[in-house]
Amino acid sequence: MSPWLRLIIYLVAAPIVGGLLAGWDRRISARMQSRQGPPILQPFYDVFKLCQKEAIVVRRSQNFYLFFFLLLVIFTGGLFFAGSDLLLVVFALTLAAIFLVLGAYKASSPYSFIGAERELIQMMAYEPMILLTAVGMYMVADSFYVHDIAKHPALLVLTLPGIFVGFLYALEIKFRKSPFDLSSSHHAHQELVRGLTTEFSGRGLAMIEIAHWYENVFLLGWVYLFFASSPVLGILMALLVFGFVILVDNVFARLKWQAALRSAWAVTVVFGFGNIVVLSLLRGHPTPPPAAAVLPAALPAQTSAPATPTSDLPT
Amino acid sequence: MIGFKESPWILHYDASSCNGCDIETLACLTPLYDVERLGVINTGNPKHADIFLVTGAVNEQSKDVIKNIYHQLPEPKVVVAVGICACTGGIFRDCYNISGGVDSVIPVDVYVPGCAARPEAIIDGVVKALGVLEQKHLEMAALANCIDRVVYQRADRADAPEILALQKVAYQTEVELYGDDSLPPLQQTLEGLENDFDRHPAQEVSGLDAAAGRPPDEADRMVFIKAVVNGKIIGSVRCYAIGDTTHLRRMIVHPYFRGRGIGRRLLQEVEKAFPHSRRFEAKTGHRSKRGHFQLTKLGYRQFKTEPFTPAVTWCYFEKERTPQPHH
Repeated sequence: MSPWLRLIIYLVAAPIVGGLLAGWDRRISARMQSRQGPPILQPFYDVFKLCQKEAIVVRRSQNFYLFFFLLLVIFTGGLFFAGSDLLLVVFALTLAAIFLVLGAYKASSPYSFIGAERELIQMMAYEPMILLTAVGMYMVADSFYVHDIAKHPALLVLTLPGIFVGFLYALEIKFRKSPFDLSSSHHAHQELVRGLTTEFSGRGLAMIEIAHWYENVFLLGWVYLFFASSPVLGILMALLVFGFVILVDNVFARLKWQAALRSAWAVTVVFGFGNIVVLSLLRGHPTPPPAAAVLPAALPAQTSAPATPTSDLPT
Repeated sequence: MIGFKESPWILHYDASSCNGCDIETLACLTPLYDVERLGVINTGNPKHADIFLVTGAVNEQSKDVIKNIYHQLPEPKVVVAVGICACTGGIFRDCYNISGGVDSVIPVDVYVPGCAARPEAIIDGVVKALGVLEQKHLEMAALANCIDRVVYQRADRADAPEILALQKVAYQTEVELYGDDSLPPLQQTLEGLENDFDRHPAQEVSGLDAAAGRPPDEADRMVFIKAVVNGKIIGSVRCYAIGDTTHLRRMIVHPYFRGRGIGRRLLQEVEKAFPHSRRFEAKTGHRSKRGHFQLTKLGYRQFKTEPFTPAVTWCYFEKERTPQPHH
């Protein structure tokens, strides 16, 4: 499949799949609490409604930041599904999150301030693990490009089990699910109002919602990459991971931010970094870089440069 | 239109009283009743909510909180009063600090009586509120879609109730600006407004005609101009001439329709309605920057300020009519 086709499929299908996943999430959560739960299409109803509501803003520019948040999340997923560089994907993802934080800061309300600060802490917590995931995949597949990694003949998870566990941990934070729903949560009313999203209403809130759909699909796409050599297993595992995240959401209470940060870094060091150390020991010494290629180009310049002045010297 | 009926987000506030209805409302979220199956989310944030659900009678402490929350809900919004205390004040009605039901502070759309209101009744009330919510949305959309067909006309006595209702809605933003809900426009009665239609301010100022028993001059009568969309008044201004100066008073535009040039057109209509006036004078409160901006844009300039109440200082604006260029 050509990268452009994959990109277009992502742009069209991701909000639909993401919305359905969000609907399932609420339904399954309700069933876990022995409730009936809302219809599967509920997230779409919510977004349609939000688009028709009056938009109240504290500052007009706050929705401008949100627009860039949405745009960059779509861009991140687009890069990923078009098979581009994983590092670039990670940086685009970070930039997107930064725009959301800026939007929340712009609204200058104490609740959205707390939400924004906690979001920054969360980013500090998951960012190293996400980067190590990219590095680990590079070490196995010898390329940062998603389309090369996807073509790797073996299951990546077999050589990267630690990285996979660490990535799952980062995923819990990224999905804003229960042990780590510090910055904005459906359940955190009493202490935070709605944290990061407190001051957004109407269309702005709908944009955040749609951005999350795109983001979730992108993150599950990354889970798929661990199992890319067997597509059926990959899709199955992506759905299983999503189910696992919902289960954890319903089982755990919220952590304090200190605990979230410490545990995330501990997991990163033990599982993520440990996996990479083991991997580099197993692989032995990496092949020396082709440094010799640079030398021939430099040589003629060195020989010709002193040649000219010497010929002009009077003897 | 999908949306409003399927996704009501509720903000729940307990004003006072015994907390019985408060607990029954939260019982709606439990597995037995599970209102989430109707798409209901109990948000803790007014800016995300569609339905404002209030339990308990209103006392001096909760009064401002209720008003504050109500103004933070984005349109369209619906208020549901749950329990007899929220409907009328209930057994607490005669207490010294109770101002009555929720409707003594903000407009209420659905009343759910009961002591305490049962969860079934509360869910019924919310479902009923959904109908109101959707209707409000349709009205809003219908009005917004025909904004290019605004008609500017003279208003008459029959329009008084509608103008009064509009005045109370439009001045809510001023209440927020000045933190004072005793502004005269909000205190005006229907009778008072109807009487305005028969006032001759020029005569009141001079007092001459009345003393001489002469019939008042029709040209001095107070003029009401209205902006009408789909038969509904969305803006109005009243004005009167004294000598060759026309005074503008109480320019109001419905909050949905602000920033679309309606206020500006109303001011221009005033100039047309008084062709012989050479000078136009308007006054606004000192914090109504929107009004200042509009007036300045139309060539008015501020010429004096005058303290009115501790909260409000009047700013006077004037404009000389520029002679029409001859073609």
